Amino acid sequence: MTDLAAAEELAGTTAAGRLALADVTKVFGSNGEQVRAVDGVDLTIEPGEFVTLLGPSGCGKTTTLRMIAGFESPSSGRIVLDGSDMISVPPNRRPMAMVFQSYALFPHLTVRQNVAYGLNLRKLPAAQIEEEVSLALTSMNLLKLADRAPNQLSGGQQQRVALARAMVMKPKVLLFDEPLSNLDAKLREQMRLEIRRLQRRLGITSVYVTHDQSEAMAMSDRIIVMNGGRIEQAAPPDEIYRRPASVFVADFIGRANFLPATRVESTGAGTARVQVLGETVEVPAHPDALTADDVVLMVRPESITLTAAPAGGEIRGRHGKVVAAVFYGEHVEYELETETGNILVVASDPDVDAIFAEGADVSLQFASDRAWLLRQP
Amino acid sequence: MAVTGLAPGAAGAAPPAAGAPTGRRGRVPVRTVVRQDPVTLALVVVVVAILVVLVVLPLATVLVRAVSGAGAEVLISMVTSAVNRKIILNTVILGVVVGLTGTVVGFLFAYAQARLKFRGKRLLHVIALIPIVSPPFAVATASITLFGRNGIISNQLLGQPWNIYGLPGLWLVLSISFFPVAYMNLLGMLRSLDPSMDEAAQSLGASKWHIFRTVTLPMLIPGFASSFLLLFVEAIADLANPLVLGGDFTVLASRAYIAVTGEYNVPAGSAYSLVLLLPAVTVFLVQRYWVAQRSTVSVTGKPSGRVELLRGFWGRVPLLTVVGLITALILTIYGTVVVGGFVQLLGVNNTPTLAHYQYLLSGIGNDAIIDTTLLALAAMPIAGVLGMLVAWLVVQRLRRGRGLLDFLGMLGLAVPGTVIGIGYAITFNTPLEIGGVRLMPALAGGGAVFGGAIAIVMVFVARSMPAGQRSGVAALQQIDPAIDEASTSLGASGLETFRRVTLPLIRPAFLAGLTYAFARSMTTVSPIIFITTPHTRIMTSQILSEVDAGRFGNAFAFCTMLIVIVLVVMGLLNLLIRLLPGATPAMATKEISA
Amino acid sequence: MQQRRTIVSVLGASALVLTLAACGSSEADTADGDGPSGSLTIACGAMEDLCQAWTSAFTEATGVQTSFVRLSSGETVARLEAARSAPEFDVWHGGPVDGFGAAKEQELLASYESPNAEEIPAEYRDDEGYWTGVYLGVLGFCSNESILDNLGVDAPTSWDDLLAPELSGQVSTAHPSTSGTAFTTLWTQVERLGGEDAAFDYMSQLHTNVLQYSKSGTAPGQHAGRGEVAVGLVFAHDCVKYREEGMTDLVVSFPEDGTGYEIGGVALVAGSGNEEAAQAYIDWALTPEAQNIGTTVGSYQALTHPDAQVDDRMVQLDSVNLVDYDFAEAAAQKPTLTARFDAEIASQPRD
Repeated sequence: MTDLAAAEELAGTTAAGRLALADVTKVFGSNGEQVRAVDGVDLTIEPGEFVTLLGPSGCGKTTTLRMIAGFESPSSGRIVLDGSDMISVPPNRRPMAMVFQSYALFPHLTVRQNVAYGLNLRKLPAAQIEEEVSLALTSMNLLKLADRAPNQLSGGQQQRVALARAMVMKPKVLLFDEPLSNLDAKLREQMRLEIRRLQRRLGITSVYVTHDQSEAMAMSDRIIVMNGGRIEQAAPPDEIYRRPASVFVADFIGRANFLPATRVESTGAGTARVQVLGETVEVPAHPDALTADDVVLMVRPESITLTAAPAGGEIRGRHGKVVAAVFYGEHVEYELETETGNILVVASDPDVDAIFAEGADVSLQFASDRAWLLRQP
Repeated sequence: MAVTGLAPGAAGAAPPAAGAPTGRRGRVPVRTVVRQDPVTLALVVVVVAILVVLVVLPLATVLVRAVSGAGAEVLISMVTSAVNRKIILNTVILGVVVGLTGTVVGFLFAYAQARLKFRGKRLLHVIALIPIVSPPFAVATASITLFGRNGIISNQLLGQPWNIYGLPGLWLVLSISFFPVAYMNLLGMLRSLDPSMDEAAQSLGASKWHIFRTVTLPMLIPGFASSFLLLFVEAIADLANPLVLGGDFTVLASRAYIAVTGEYNVPAGSAYSLVLLLPAVTVFLVQRYWVAQRSTVSVTGKPSGRVELLRGFWGRVPLLTVVGLITALILTIYGTVVVGGFVQLLGVNNTPTLAHYQYLLSGIGNDAIIDTTLLALAAMPIAGVLGMLVAWLVVQRLRRGRGLLDFLGMLGLAVPGTVIGIGYAITFNTPLEIGGVRLMPALAGGGAVFGGAIAIVMVFVARSMPAGQRSGVAALQQIDPAIDEASTSLGASGLETFRRVTLPLIRPAFLAGLTYAFARSMTTVSPIIFITTPHTRIMTSQILSEVDAGRFGNAFAFCTMLIVIVLVVMGLLNLLIRLLPGATPAMATKEISA
Repeated sequence: MQQRRTIVSVLGASALVLTLAACGSSEADTADGDGPSGSLTIACGAMEDLCQAWTSAFTEATGVQTSFVRLSSGETVARLEAARSAPEFDVWHGGPVDGFGAAKEQELLASYESPNAEEIPAEYRDDEGYWTGVYLGVLGFCSNESILDNLGVDAPTSWDDLLAPELSGQVSTAHPSTSGTAFTTLWTQVERLGGEDAAFDYMSQLHTNVLQYSKSGTAPGQHAGRGEVAVGLVFAHDCVKYREEGMTDLVVSFPEDGTGYEIGGVALVAGSGNEEAAQAYIDWALTPEAQNIGTTVGSYQALTHPDAQVDDRMVQLDSVNLVDYDFAEAAAQKPTLTARFDAEIASQPRD
């Protein structure tokens, strides 16, 4: 949907910005009831990087974004863009542009006028504004709709107008506040790819807020998982997925089983020998898990394979019983009863004849490098 | 004019002119029409019949008189006579001037309330709404005392012999009396602006002032237009103030009154009323069905966040100064009303006295207070329920005929009070007989049943129901239509759904309708003048004669008494409804936010 | 929502009950037995407190429940007309007789020659018995002494005194179409100057000094009393009343070249529901006792009955020069004159 060539021409020569947050804290409320919405956040975003702030409601991601934009001011800490402290810069002077969840298009202006709004403020010559606006509209495939009013557009089109309006400003940083949450699923998937492709081509530093983890996974160079105002983990998607820093992160992204385990000994850099489900295995471990008293072993459902076991066997160790089996077409989900509790197993592209029925006895295996040892919180 | 509970939070419940808010995402929600059950149909018939008797019949009578004989002569002279042309011009000028001023003042107050940070917001809100609960003569009489030829402020303090009679006085008094309408209207609009609009503009580099000019103001234009038109109608329809303050400045309303009471010429009065009626109804229609529909407050996505309040010096101080001055004016005027009841003759003889209150609380004064309060109380539930019923039928039950019923309900307010008064006097003074069979006894005038009280209650209902209808419509449109459908699918008839499901959800709007009905009934005067009887003494009519007779002290005491009664009843109502368990409308809004 | 329904129906029921309670009984009793009985409704043109005093006194004297509605003469005629087929009033008491004349013209009054009417001088009665005068009001100048002092003028003693340049914008009078008082003023000029044109000539000269034409006839006195103008043109008794009420700067004076007056009347409404009681009321209203009630409530009109008490605050009729006032002619000319006034005088700019 986007005309990338046009977009690239639009982006021109504005250098992407480097954004740094140093020990940023935001406290709401007065003497009696105080809420630490953001608590000591340290974060550096490299030029051109696409970073997503991800977390449940109330984790502080939106507040952080608004502090970057300037709509909230930090209670303490610094926000620095390309070396300049933003503390005294009001939101309308920061070289950033924001795309809102509600799109916030000006209803009394046409699409073209909406996109031109920011440029008009800069008092550029009319011809130049005209050109840049047309370029922005073309890049978003909106040229045909240029003279329509916002309420005559579909949600997806409105979103693209909001995007064009932000991008035409050639900002150093692009901020996104859950921009796709009002769209239906299919459109959402489409738009997220478009945005990502665009951002890659233009190389604009972007900070994206969402609570949708698949969105974060699909779009980001790095995901910043937040919880209770703090950063739990900031890492690329694969690391977040394979090597989560905490049980919270492991549980928030994708699905995970947490098997009770006992550490026998730490064996060298980043691995440990543990006893789990009646056997001892050597698994990769988070540094905290090497020294913590209580540990737990994370194994993702798709990493577990099941084989048939003799019927009537005890539920012990690697032996379990199928409690539920749900066929989803491209995969089957099993709920398995084991000696340490119920776990979830997912088998992709299942052989239809080999699907285990409820009550079946099975034994489970997993590759030890697919497991991950975490400190028990 | 609309009033809600005197709490800023309730302001959103009843902006009088807020048109139907367009649905989220730009589509007006389509209400599926349930095939009408007989109960609903019966309700429609009953409601329409009531509205016809209340408003259409008197109106038609006036129109008929206006175009017959003496009336037709006057109509022709409207064009030919210079005097009459001047009267029309005066009327229009008054409407325009008051419309503009009232809208501006209302906007200043609304903007301060919605966008500025300062202490005493609740107080400001209350002060802005005071004119709604006060009788029309209070401000006029106080203005004469304060700003007249020998006014306390104008002459005794500043030594200026201002002439407050005529256009200047009317402009001042009517602007103060009606700006609350604009205030409520614009406050509602300001509050429903999407805050992220401001932030989006900021993120694009706009300063606060630029945003105000290019985003806020343009989006409020429908609100300005709407307020102006509403105030125009109210100003030209007003009778009380031109009588007291008009001086040589004659307008159509006072001319009609003079025709009836001075020249004993009812058809001529009807003719003047007709000329007054046309612009009033036209402007009303334009405001309601054209301007209000173009309200484009927010059409994209789901609004989120709060608006940041202005805190800076230049953002606040100039505006607050102006608002403060106007507030001081309002307080001075009403202060005069209260004080004036306790001195002999304020400005001339300032010895304190309780004589006025003694006069009030004995004999005639006493009767008037009791009669008026009881009749207003009687009219209140009728107006409230009727307004709600009409709103419900219009929003949730009817498809065709919806606009017509809505308009019928609004007529009671669109038609100037003088017209209604004359209409009632003509229509209901004599029994209704068809073919020698008495269908309906006389309802108005001294020979009527119940001493004419029925006609007075009818007038109260006709005049105060429309506001309840409007706030009901606004409230009902917030409710997810699926709720009505769910109730029906579970077996409830139209009326049961209304009672069990809808009514509890629109409780605040209903309450607003009730309190407004009471306030309006207590303060209405234009129609009442024509149908008072010895058995039904109405306070506003009494106040008029006290003012006429120069007994300002009595008039002030009456006004104070009236304000107190209205406030007490409103307070009691608020308390009563708050104590009742029930749902809140927030529970049933269309989009349940995640 | 049982509670909701209960509340609403309770409110609705109480609405009905309240409406009933609010008016008490209003059905007229049928006359029965000896003496007047039942109830009466009076259309009363005098001030509210005088109306109250009259009706209470009659009720006490005879036991007939009498109530009133205070209306100006225009409103009275309008309402009599509107309720012609089912009159709401029985008697019209108080208010200038040119209104009575108009009502008589429209056949809204009934002729009744009360035995007590004989005692009233003939010039104060309708010769066909449609109305009888109970009081007289003399048109005069109601001036505010301190304002006059400021302006350096004496209280006016002639009509031409009102034309003095010092009084520019300092005279207050009412509009003849709404005010009987003002119409009396206008007709007085006609009588005094001998014709309509001469009268209008005077009025247009006066126009420059007039602040504005008020709607109510008594307002000019208040304007003077409040110090807003120097002179108000009202009936003398109204001026005295205002002075008694606390506007102490007021003084009354009369034009030596002749002034007009009003007769306040009482009449029987045609088709009254209780004619016997109504006639008894009229009989009573003409007695000295009834007429004396005026001064007890601050109304100082001169009284028509020769035996009625004379109070210092009343005008001494022999000390004032009254013009020869033709009430019938005045009533007949009223519509044309007021229309002419509107067109030629009221709408003119002031130079």
